[in-house]
Amino acid sequence: MSRASLAARVLVLAVVAVLVLTVPGWAGDYWTRILTGVCMWAGLALAWNVLGGYAGYISFGHAVFFGIGAYATAVLMQPGRHWNFFLTLPVGVAAAALLAAVVGWPTLKLRGAYFAIATWALAEAILQLATVVGFTNGSSGLVIPSFASSSFFYYAMLVAAVLTFLTTYTLLERSRWGYQVKALRDDEATARSVGIDTTRVKIQAFVLSAVIPAVFGAIDAYWITFINPQSVLAADITDQMVVMALIGGLGHSWGPALGAALLFVVNRQFVAEFGDTTSYIAVVGALVALVVLFLPDGLVSLIPGVRRLGLVRRLLPLSRPEAERR
Amino acid sequence: MSVLEVSDLRRAFGGIQAVGGVTFAVQPQEIVGIIGPNGSGKSTLFNLVTGVYRSDGGAIRLLGQDITRVAPHRIARAGLGRTFQIPGLFVNMTVRQNLLTAAVHGDWKAAPARADAVLEQLDITHVAGDLAGSLSGGQQRLLEFGRVLMQDPQLILLDEVTAGVHPRLREIILGAIRRLRDEGRTFVVIEHDMELVRTICERVIVMDAGQIVAQGPFEEVANDPHVVEAYLGRPVT
Repeated sequence: MSRASLAARVLVLAVVAVLVLTVPGWAGDYWTRILTGVCMWAGLALAWNVLGGYAGYISFGHAVFFGIGAYATAVLMQPGRHWNFFLTLPVGVAAAALLAAVVGWPTLKLRGAYFAIATWALAEAILQLATVVGFTNGSSGLVIPSFASSSFFYYAMLVAAVLTFLTTYTLLERSRWGYQVKALRDDEATARSVGIDTTRVKIQAFVLSAVIPAVFGAIDAYWITFINPQSVLAADITDQMVVMALIGGLGHSWGPALGAALLFVVNRQFVAEFGDTTSYIAVVGALVALVVLFLPDGLVSLIPGVRRLGLVRRLLPLSRPEAERR
Repeated sequence: MSVLEVSDLRRAFGGIQAVGGVTFAVQPQEIVGIIGPNGSGKSTLFNLVTGVYRSDGGAIRLLGQDITRVAPHRIARAGLGRTFQIPGLFVNMTVRQNLLTAAVHGDWKAAPARADAVLEQLDITHVAGDLAGSLSGGQQRLLEFGRVLMQDPQLILLDEVTAGVHPRLREIILGAIRRLRDEGRTFVVIEHDMELVRTICERVIVMDAGQIVAQGPFEEVANDPHVVEAYLGRPVT
C-alpha cells in the first residue's frame, strides 16, 4: 500500500470515528436513538454469528441470553437492592455463560435442525418460566430506575458493539481457537482427527456467543427502564439476530453488523411510516428468500475482494450427519 | 518398542464382523501396507485405531500408551495423523488455513512459517489462498497429506492417499513419505495400487472378511494362495 493510499485510509477512518463519536451532538434525539439501536443489534448479530456463522450451529434460542442480562440488571437495580448498573453486568454475563455451558454440553451433540429446535425449546421454556417465577414479577414486568441520559446509552451500546467486533474478529479470524471453530463447522470428524477437542471448542463458542447478548440485554433494560418476558425473551429477538446475520453475511467477520444496520433502520422507518412492523416482516421475508437464492454470502459479497463461503445453503437445510457421509 | 500394537481387535456392525480378531504390530520407521478387497475391513481398522469407532474388544497401543477407546483428538495429540478415503477437508477455509488448523499445539506464532514450508514442499504454494473446496481431487489429497505433515505425528495412517492423483503429485507424495520415514516417522498405508505398495512398503498385511489372511514382504504375499483366493475368489489348491 502506498503512503498516499494509507494516508487517505487513515483520514477516512478518522472522519468516520469523529462522526460516530459526536453523534449525540449533531444527529438529534431521534437519530441518536436509531443509532443506539443499530449498535445494539450489530453486537447481537455479531454474537449470534459466532455460533451460527463460525461454528455452524444455528441457534433459535439466543433471546434467552439477552433476557438473562436484562433480568439480572432489572432485578438487581430494583429499589431495595440498589445495585450499581455496572456491577449488574458481570452477574448477567456469568449467568448467561453458566446456562450456555450447561445447556451446550448436551445440545451441541445435535446438529442442523435438531440443534435449532432444541435451542428454540430452551428459549420457550425460559420465557414461560419468567412469566411464573416471583422475582421477575411475571407478565407485569419490572420497572428500572433511570439515572442516565440518552447519550450515555448511545456510548454504552457503541462501546459494547466495538468491543464485540474486536473480540470476535481477534478470536475468530486471528487466533488458533478461531481456526478450530471454523474447522468443526466444516467437518467435525476431520477436526477431531487433527487433534481438536471439538466438544470443548463448541461449548466455548456457545459461551462466547451467549455472554455478549447478556451485556446488550443489560444495557437495553437500563435504557428502556421497563422489561417483561415478552420484551426481552420473545422469539422475535432471536429471529432478528438470525436474519441480520443472514442478510449481512453469515460467517463473515463484519457482515452481520452491516445486516443489522440496514434492517434496524428499515424497521424504524416502516414503524414511523405505517405504525407497525407488519410490512417490515414481509420485506424481511422477501429479503431472506432473495439472499438464499441469489446472494448466499449476503450483502458483504457485493463488496469486491470479499471471499464467498456460501454457508447459507449448507447450514440452513437439514445437513447430513458426518457419520452417514463417511 | 513398537509404534503401534493391535491385539485381537474386534468390531461388528449388526451381524457383520467388520474386524474380527486382528493382531499386528508396526515397528519404528516401517512402511506397512494394508491391502485387501473392498469390504475386507481395512478402513474400519483405521477408524478403530484412530478412535472414530469404539472397538468391541481387543487392545490398541500407540508408542506404548493404551489408546483403546480413547477419544480421536487425544489419539491425534498422542502422535497419530491420518488421511481419509474421501479427503476430509475444511472446504470453506483456504488451503493455508487448512494447514494451520493442524497446528493444535506448540508455538502458534511459528505455525504460519511451518505452513509455508509444507506448501512449498508439496508444491501447492500457488493455491495457498484458494478455498479447499475449489481444489481438484488430486490437490485435495495433497492438501490432506500436507495437514498431516503439519501435525508432525510419529505414526501416519494413509487411506488411499494417491487414489485419483496426477502422476506428478503422486511422486511428490511418495517422495515426502520416504523422506519422513528417513527422518523417523512410521507409516501404515491402505492402498489398491499394487505397484505403489510394492515400491514403498517393506511389509504387507492382507485382510479379507475382517481378518488378516497373510503378512510379509510383498513378493511373498503376492504368491500366497490365501491372498489369491481373497482377490480372485478361487479355492485354495
